[in-house]
Amino acid sequence: MGASIKIRAHEIDGQVTVKSVINHPMETGERKIRKTGRKIPPHYIREIIVSRNRRIVMEAFWGKSISRNPYLSFQIAGRKGDAITISWLDNRGNSDTATTQVR
Amino acid sequence: MKRRTLLQAGIQVSLGAILFPRAAIGAYPSGAFLAKELPQALREAFGSADIGDSDKIEIEAPLIARDPGMVPVRIRSGFANTESIAIVVASNESPFTAHFRLYESQDFVSTRVRMAATGDLVVIVKADGVLHANRRPVRVGRNSCEV
Repeated sequence: MGASIKIRAHEIDGQVTVKSVINHPMETGERKIRKTGRKIPPHYIREIIVSRNRRIVMEAFWGKSISRNPYLSFQIAGRKGDAITISWLDNRGNSDTATTQVR
Repeated sequence: MKRRTLLQAGIQVSLGAILFPRAAIGAYPSGAFLAKELPQALREAFGSADIGDSDKIEIEAPLIARDPGMVPVRIRSGFANTESIAIVVASNESPFTAHFRLYESQDFVSTRVRMAATGDLVVIVKADGVLHANRRPVRVGRNSCEV
């Protein structure tokens, strides 16, 4: 679990900056296979949930216009040692979760 | 063998849906994501397309997108009690792109979006129950992507 998500979180003056990259194709459903002309079916992340110390601090809904291998960064109040968890759920029902500690 | 992989895929799907820590708050706003025009997307997402402009919302994005499939966007809402931040790419076939709901004091999000053509990046912020909008034009060159 968590292999698809990279998270870094560091704290300065009580402010935690979180940066993350998720490995995901984010297929729009419009891209075509050049040889056959067939469209590649849509496959994209629809929901993101972020929690700090097991409390949900952010929820995001995404569409197909988010780039491949999505990047997500945000800032919240917190301190060193806090646990930041990011989970995603895609349109096929696949999901992943990763947690990191604030440095 | 084929049956086995199918079975495994099924298990993976159901496990994924169970493991995901679904919040009690809010369902996926399908209507907004399906809308083909900016005003309709706004009506679907916020109940109104009539949203006042505000310079307090800071949008950082390139003037010209080097890679239209990955246009970096940095947003600072500028409002004290920001409840949500939404990104709409006006020129995309489905303009509504992302809706971030913030449950603790936060005013910054950053991500990367696809842009099919030159157009406005529109950001809508909800703070103290009031909607505010700001926009920033981004030029897209010849090597545009399909969205």
